[in-house]
Amino acid sequence: MSSELDDDVVIRVRHLAKAYKLYDSPKDWLKQQLIGSATNPYYKSFWALKDISFDVHRGKSVGIIGRNGCGKTTLLQIVCGMTRPTKGEIMVKGRVAPVLALGATFDPEATGRENVLIGGAVLGLKRHEVRARLDSISDFAGIGAFMDQPLKHYSSGMQMRLAFAICAHIEADILIVDEALAVGDMAFQKKCTDWMDNFRRTGTMLLVSHSPSSLTQLCDTGIWIDNGRVREAGSVADVTHAYRRATFLEKEDMRRFSHS
Amino acid sequence: MTNLINRQPSPEARVMHIRDGEVVEPRDYNWFERLARFLVRPFTDAWHHRDLIEAILRRELRERFKGSMAGWIWAITAPLISLITYTVVFGGAVKLPNNAESHSPVDYGLFIFGGLVAFNFFTEMAYRAPSLLHEYSHYIKQTMFPAEMLPIISTLRAMTYASIGLALMLLCQAIFGSMSWTVLLLPLWIVAFLAFLVGITWMLSAMGAFTRDTAYLMMTIAPVLMFATPVFWSTESLSPDMRLLMYANILTGYIEIIRDLVVEGKLPNGWVVAWTAFISMFFFWFGYWFFRRQQDAIADVI
Repeated sequence: MSSELDDDVVIRVRHLAKAYKLYDSPKDWLKQQLIGSATNPYYKSFWALKDISFDVHRGKSVGIIGRNGCGKTTLLQIVCGMTRPTKGEIMVKGRVAPVLALGATFDPEATGRENVLIGGAVLGLKRHEVRARLDSISDFAGIGAFMDQPLKHYSSGMQMRLAFAICAHIEADILIVDEALAVGDMAFQKKCTDWMDNFRRTGTMLLVSHSPSSLTQLCDTGIWIDNGRVREAGSVADVTHAYRRATFLEKEDMRRFSHS
Repeated sequence: MTNLINRQPSPEARVMHIRDGEVVEPRDYNWFERLARFLVRPFTDAWHHRDLIEAILRRELRERFKGSMAGWIWAITAPLISLITYTVVFGGAVKLPNNAESHSPVDYGLFIFGGLVAFNFFTEMAYRAPSLLHEYSHYIKQTMFPAEMLPIISTLRAMTYASIGLALMLLCQAIFGSMSWTVLLLPLWIVAFLAFLVGITWMLSAMGAFTRDTAYLMMTIAPVLMFATPVFWSTESLSPDMRLLMYANILTGYIEIIRDLVVEGKLPNGWVVAWTAFISMFFFWFGYWFFRRQQDAIADVI
């Protein structure tokens, strides 16, 4: 496990694990701060990720598939640097554009233009960069004169289109996409898919989806995560095939969230 | 979209490397380098995120008076009215609480107002800090938002209102009293007070993320603190032992210094300055350290 990164590998993940500390009450948090130790803690650990290892090579597009609660979103959040892993190693090289939780920074009282300025700043764009891209973003979202209207007058589809348009203008090296394909109407979905297809030619992409068909369309390789571990990895066709078979065979276990 | 085809490697190509929950540095640093890096870190981070700070600050300032017709006029009227009230109510006082002769009816008004500007600035921060991270929870959880910048943004926001009061105070001092050269030292006081407030907000907001009790605690303490702080009176009217005890109140030094510089037009006591400077630096870096220590947990619990 050397710390030098092979020039070709942009994301390297080794035995990654993430535990959330669950406190029953704030009192337990205070006790943990004052007198707690790691060996006899006042919290319960919930391991969202248990052991994940993979490499993503430059210019490749990797699809991640798995059931709800298997740790997909946690993994993407770690790759983006939103949350820190508890164990294991991760190395990410390049500018990351997260297309997850679209519109998290949106303020319904502010205009589209103001929201683009804030959203762009949160994604790490400099002020002059956002200003230079304003027209292009408005074009991509296709919302025209609505740019100067408060966001509360937008339909939810328009809001999502604006949010995706901002992400599409970061000029990132690595695109991290979480279920964002269900954005807007058919025409806009096609625009997004085309844009991502275009992005693949030069950039690296990590994509999470429940839909095997959109993974096969957009990805080179696939990773199937089950219960915080990599269950299968390989070509996207093999992985989605195995996943389809398994979900067909394994009955939905309704109680799987109740025991961790 | 064509610009994506001939993409250049981005100028700020950054590497994130984390092993077992710790950031892996490109090389090993000795203890002195680590200390130096820790001390400059709040400043370099804030500089790096300056455009973000500006964008959020603009939005917050616009939001404050949204839906009101007079808008910013309220921000000026409120401190003006309170200054006039103190002058009218206490204007008859011939002697200032520190036994100096009053030169004009405005003197005592300004004397109180100086303390109030600082104290109100502090309480505004103390009331808001515990809920600050909750206000921005969706930013912190769902985006790459640097949460440690929020206390800085919130302090800058409060400063814009405090500076209205400060400007008013200076104006009245220039018109009704005499302006001393010591006013030129005021920027130093502002820097020290801001550092103290940012530090306090780092601490309170991190605590507030875990327990709402922080908010109730501040609501209980702040009104009591107002009377334990020399806002309406001066420590010079106390016995020497009691005076020393007053400096255990972290706000006392700031209020005395701003009064000395603006209203009294004299240099503050050297010991008071040293103690206050120490408080500023201690809270600033301790608050930063405390916040960073809790930061990962904050994103998970909020």
